[in-house]
Amino acid sequence: MKTSKSRRGGIRKRGPTRTDRDGDMDMDAGGSRAAKRGRTEKSGLGGRIAGAGVGGRAAGTGGRVAARDKHLDLIQRAISSVDPQANIRQNNRKPPSELEQFSVRGWKSSKAASNRDGGVESLIAFLERRMNSFIKSGPRAKITKSRVEGDTLVVFVRPDLAGHMLRINNNTFAGAQVTVEAYTAANALDRELAAVDTTPGSTADTKTKMTTILGKRFFPQTKLLDLSKLGEDPDLHAMGIFESVSRESKFFPALMKVWEQGFKTAAEQREAVESVSLAENKLTSIAPVTTLAQSFAHIKYLDLSKNNIKNGQAMFGWRWKFRDLIFLDMTGNEFCSDPNFKDTMLKWYPKLQTLNNVQVRTPEEVAAQRKTPIPVLPPHFVDSSQIGENFVRSFFPAYDTDRNGLVASVYDEESTVSLNVNTTAPKASQAETAGWGEYIRKSRNLDKISHLSARMSRSYTGTEQIRELFNALPPTSHPDIIAKAEQWLIECHPVSNLPDPTGQSPYGVGGLSLMVHGQLEESVGGKVETRSFDRTFILGPGKAPGSIRVISEIFCLRAYGGHEAWSPEIQAMSQDSSPAAVAAPGPVPTAAPAAPIPPTVPTAAATPAVASTYGLPEPGKSEAQLQQEVLVTQMSARSGMTFEYSQMALSGNGWDAELAWKNFEQLKASGALPPTAFLAPA
Amino acid sequence: MAAVSEDTWTKVSTEATTEFVKTYYPALGSNRQSLGSYYSLEPTTILFNGNGVVDGAAVQEIFMNQMSPAHYEVQSYDCQIINRAYPTRLPNGELKPKSEMGVKDMSLLVVVSGFVRYGEGRDQPQRGFSETFVLIPNPSAERARGRKDWLIQSQNFRLVV
Repeated sequence: MKTSKSRRGGIRKRGPTRTDRDGDMDMDAGGSRAAKRGRTEKSGLGGRIAGAGVGGRAAGTGGRVAARDKHLDLIQRAISSVDPQANIRQNNRKPPSELEQFSVRGWKSSKAASNRDGGVESLIAFLERRMNSFIKSGPRAKITKSRVEGDTLVVFVRPDLAGHMLRINNNTFAGAQVTVEAYTAANALDRELAAVDTTPGSTADTKTKMTTILGKRFFPQTKLLDLSKLGEDPDLHAMGIFESVSRESKFFPALMKVWEQGFKTAAEQREAVESVSLAENKLTSIAPVTTLAQSFAHIKYLDLSKNNIKNGQAMFGWRWKFRDLIFLDMTGNEFCSDPNFKDTMLKWYPKLQTLNNVQVRTPEEVAAQRKTPIPVLPPHFVDSSQIGENFVRSFFPAYDTDRNGLVASVYDEESTVSLNVNTTAPKASQAETAGWGEYIRKSRNLDKISHLSARMSRSYTGTEQIRELFNALPPTSHPDIIAKAEQWLIECHPVSNLPDPTGQSPYGVGGLSLMVHGQLEESVGGKVETRSFDRTFILGPGKAPGSIRVISEIFCLRAYGGHEAWSPEIQAMSQDSSPAAVAAPGPVPTAAPAAPIPPTVPTAAATPAVASTYGLPEPGKSEAQLQQEVLVTQMSARSGMTFEYSQMALSGNGWDAELAWKNFEQLKASGALPPTAFLAPA
Repeated sequence: MAAVSEDTWTKVSTEATTEFVKTYYPALGSNRQSLGSYYSLEPTTILFNGNGVVDGAAVQEIFMNQMSPAHYEVQSYDCQIINRAYPTRLPNGELKPKSEMGVKDMSLLVVVSGFVRYGEGRDQPQRGFSETFVLIPNPSAERARGRKDWLIQSQNFRLVV
């Protein structure tokens, strides 16, 4: 393991306990935060001071400390009170897609509420009894699944029972009138907000307040969401979050939902934040904040320092989360003294480079993990008269918008198509998979479908059957092949001896094998789901002169697996490394592969938009912040680094422009700055 | 060629595919000296992550001498018949007459989805792959034990996750 001084840490986020300033850059949460909040500590000194000062205990007066600690205790209760119901809810976020959910309320005031289980069992029996009383024939009504959310019982029933469920609304159960409504994520949020609200019925107000709190703690420039020291947050106190245990337990999940609602797309949400701090929240386990892993699956920096996490068990729920994490600060938690701490964290977080402010892996080591023994090269695309290219360009838009027209144009009576679902495929970090619905009913995974009759019925021959198949599948939207080229991998090579539609050539005819890997979006129950697919076509000449047809097609669907596996970084990395397979003699395609897709530069799109008022005075902007923004713009202009990295350099060096510049030069000379640190050449 | 029922086409094609998938992938992991035997002597295109390989012997050589240990797991696979009467060139250079053809003279498209773990040990990351094969009838007349009825004409392996 490399631990050479020059590389140590590279770009780092400040750990509160760190006291050295040996030239490392810090992605300082503390410094900018302290400045923006107008704290009394001198923000210009950056994270070191902020780290000691914001905690406040060393410098504060006795009375302040006591008050703050009391608040910390409150927040600890707020976010540490593990509400088993809340957890059940989270675990069950993905109900079986075929079932419908209903919320039942009002039963808490029934006589049955004094039963040992709070009356849940008799309520379910009541609901089933009522539904059965409406049913004349057919299968009996059954509540397949249920869970309790506060004063709400959420039940899952078959869709055909939906009408019966709603008829129970306002019926009387054990002396209490119960309300039955369709359960949706939106009204669940309203209820969660209502639960954290001090004044019932003003959920919109709660949402606004939460949005305000998030706004104060979100720093778009550094992509930081600072959720540290929530117990000291006066806004949260004003909301009365800490006044009851049930309100406290709802707070964090509701906050996460409000956050998610602020974004139109998952991608936008993903781009917004790279770092989250949960420092100094007296967490004994991640359970109360576990929803963070859903809302911030892709963060790179996580600060959990100064909590009370004792062991791995207390973090186990995040074992497979945060797959992109490169920085983790756990200092000040008892878990760190566990002899297996480091190994466990390395195992859980494959990209982790800095643990407790110490480099534990080099970027090269992280890259090496993904390196494959067979270097990943750009697509092999050997076309013939642009047939493959034209096919791909027209096929996917047509599949999205005009499947009937598509079937009529490139399939004929002999075309065969089948699809299969790989339900267990490896997926991209955090990808959740909606049910496979119609796909699974048509899936011809030969590993699972062993009966001959099913193997026959799940293969579709001729335009009629193929049209029926395509029309039975959910509407889709594929990314644009040009604009989102990186999301596609398209390969093509000639195949020979295909059946000749005219029957004239005894050797058959030539055609193309076309292999397309990519992703598609579809709307599932009002939510957009992204899935990955692999779709192979054998293309040959059609009956009409000059036409082409799909002879065979196999369409494989799987959970979203991203496009990193064929991304340019990996190509570059792999090509640098000593090749294994390429050493072998191979028919290196003579013509340069005529890729149908111009290479795009993804970095441009990834550059965060900077507010037009950045570096300029505007109402509500503090003098300190303005000064910093000016420094950042100057640093950026001088170094060629992005605003983000310029800010890191400055905040890590106490906003001393000269120190930051020296730091920058050192890091640049040692090659420690990633290419993404720099603005793309104009 | 005698009329073949649709059941038979499906049965023979899917069973041939299963036989291929269930032996080829274990061979990639632990029977690499047998890999050459899966390939046609005149394959058209063999690709691994975009790297071209000339023939089955070269595939075998690479896997035996250059590849780290690897464990392949097939999770989903499917096939389609491409040509029900694949034109096989007999050792004498002639095309196999249609009259002698049977159900096993079909060529097949096989697509496999699964994962591979490179290196030793179960805690290596799972890399999803997608692989497409075109299998053609084995032209050899020999009836030796372990003779494969279909051989790889083309192959394209890609890591996709």
